[in-house]
Amino acid sequence: MPRFTDKDSPELIERLRDASRARQAFTEVIAAYTEPLYWQIRRMVANHDDANDILQEVFIKAWTSLENFRGDAKLSTWLYKIAINESLTFLARERRRNNVSIDDEAAMLINAIEADTNIDGDALALELRKAIATLPEKQRIVFNMRYYDELKYEEISEILGTSVGALKSSYHLAVKKIEEYFSRLD
Amino acid sequence: MKETNDILDKIGRRSGMTVPEGFFDNFVAKMSDELPEIVPEETEQAPMTMWQRFRPYVYMAAMFAGIWCMMKMFGMLSGPATDFTDINNYPGVVTALSDNAFVDDYIYPDVDEYQLIEDIYHQSTDSIGEIDFNVLTDEIFNDSI
Repeated sequence: MPRFTDKDSPELIERLRDASRARQAFTEVIAAYTEPLYWQIRRMVANHDDANDILQEVFIKAWTSLENFRGDAKLSTWLYKIAINESLTFLARERRRNNVSIDDEAAMLINAIEADTNIDGDALALELRKAIATLPEKQRIVFNMRYYDELKYEEISEILGTSVGALKSSYHLAVKKIEEYFSRLD
Repeated sequence: MKETNDILDKIGRRSGMTVPEGFFDNFVAKMSDELPEIVPEETEQAPMTMWQRFRPYVYMAAMFAGIWCMMKMFGMLSGPATDFTDINNYPGVVTALSDNAFVDDYIYPDVDEYQLIEDIYHQSTDSIGEIDFNVLTDEIFNDSI
């Protein structure tokens, strides 16, 4: 699984701003960011088909609002923000559709994880996914970014607009809860 | 602070999730083809029509006409100062005076007030006739008793 790294160059940004070359440049963006964005979304929504739909929405939204990308933030940060917002919107919609409160979201996600057919049979990894699903939304996002994507706290802070101290606290709380989850299994 | 524990070390970065064969390649190709056309926003303004060009002047003229009409109306409502000495301002009187019978019956331009009182006195005494003052005195005396 590739790490979510910064793939935008000043030259690419410049081409994105040029209407005549934007389409070709954005095709390169899609090629570069499809995989890392997909995994970020998939970890949040659990299901491949949902992740696929959301990823398409993310790229369409980014493409149609390209003029809003000012270039003072990194392209990767901007795309990450869109992906997280779209995923959270999807989860909120699912909660409403299933009449589930945010406190009961874990059960909904665990059901989705158990119903997921695109898995490699790694039981321990599956259990970790379930453990992560039990975390509060913010801790879940922070844990995924820090643990799987190996983003620096400063990068996460830029994406989520939260202080580094609060992110560290969220991450350590998440790790502690995951430990407790596994200790209950023993 | 230690960020990971034994379990996390054991699992590593494995997520256990997979994607269908060739998913990413197909997605990139499909997504690139499906990007919608972005229509640039129309920045050039449409030329102004004749009406749009003259509209402010028409509105201004209508406003002045309205003000003029309003002032005219107020003037009409308040009306000119009435001349109370002009008989033509009293149409009822004019109609009455143009009727000869009315004038004969009610208008006495040369009447002598002394003569008028004399006439009234004589007419009243004629209608009363002779008065018996003795009978009148007795009646008054009896009433007083």
